[in-house]
Amino acid sequence: MSASRFSAYRIMWVLVLFDLPTETKKERKAANLFRKNLIKDGFGMFQFSIYLRHCPSRENAKVHTKRVKANLPKHGKVCILEITDKQFGSMELFHGVKEVNLPQPSQQLQLF
Amino acid sequence: MIKRTIYIGNPAYLKLQQQQLVVQEPQSKTIKGTVPIEDIALLMLDHYQITLSNQLLIQLQGNNVAVISCDAQHLPFGVMLPLYGHTQYAERVRHQMVASEPLKKQLWKQTVTQKIANQATLLALHYKNNDTMLQYQHDVKSGDTTNREGMAAQYYWKHILDNFARHREGDAPNNLLNFGYGVLRSIVARALVCSGLLPVLGIFHKNKYNPYALADDIMEPYRPFVDKLVINYINNTQQSTQQLTPKVKAHLLTIATQDVFIDSLERPLFVAVTTTTASLYKCYTGELRQIKYPELD
Repeated sequence: MSASRFSAYRIMWVLVLFDLPTETKKERKAANLFRKNLIKDGFGMFQFSIYLRHCPSRENAKVHTKRVKANLPKHGKVCILEITDKQFGSMELFHGVKEVNLPQPSQQLQLF
Repeated sequence: MIKRTIYIGNPAYLKLQQQQLVVQEPQSKTIKGTVPIEDIALLMLDHYQITLSNQLLIQLQGNNVAVISCDAQHLPFGVMLPLYGHTQYAERVRHQMVASEPLKKQLWKQTVTQKIANQATLLALHYKNNDTMLQYQHDVKSGDTTNREGMAAQYYWKHILDNFARHREGDAPNNLLNFGYGVLRSIVARALVCSGLLPVLGIFHKNKYNPYALADDIMEPYRPFVDKLVINYINNTQQSTQQLTPKVKAHLLTIATQDVFIDSLERPLFVAVTTTTASLYKCYTGELRQIKYPELD
């Protein structure tokens, strides 16, 4: 029984894809800091250097996108992508040749 | 923004890691989940073997999270809230302190009127006659001096469920109602603190043992939404409601995301409550004459 204001078109996922240089110690430090800030902001690792976060609304997705932009490292390539839950749900994931389940959107109510 | 409700019903160790709440299984040390602190609205602790770190508590309070502990009956027992959830706290409390008696009476009248209206709507939804209720709603006087609230409640409970008596220690489904009201009270108390108001100073409730008098006042019109959830559960599952099973609790905890109609907009209840508390503050300052309450439809 989900509330109607909670539709798949309203829920957003923010993906951050990045390639950061890790040649020198300084660059590695900057890359680590960027990654740490992502985790602090509630992003989880999806694949190496692809992080994603579930956001309950479009406005909230904007908030987190803005935060990522505020913490960009000096060098390296970063791509920020916002997609709806509907689009996210049509993704297909494989581990080897076996299809696996998608990460579940965080429920409004979580029971541990 | 609509935030998340986290319910912990198993032994767990809760700690803070990188601004995330981490839920860990104490025995095997496996991490069962992480939640960003800023996304949480309510954290419900319903097991004796839950350990929290103080660092986590401080962060939770910094983000206006209501931490609710439950007692042996699994009912909400205590709420932990930050001392001030608003930057202009001192000024706001001052407005609340000097609120005049007539204003409080007017606010109470509006509260009772909307509560009876919502109860009447719920009766109509279940194809029960509600003419008496509508009459009561019309007759509410300033400060509800004629106790229309009590009369309406008596009629309402008699007709809304068959052979049922509403009583705090009564038979099921009283336990479900108690649980739902407990959660609702925490949501309202949290919103009051966020709006920079003192939950202690009620507009009507004046019990010297009640630290959440204002929350009890403001939640009145919201109670029928809990009733609706409970009645739907009883009608849809046909199971015994003697025990508060995790399934029942999960159903009742969806109260935060129920759609309500407020200020001619549809909003999740959790957001609607903050609209109500913000309008209450404006009533205290004299900017508004009407407190905004939800309508059941």
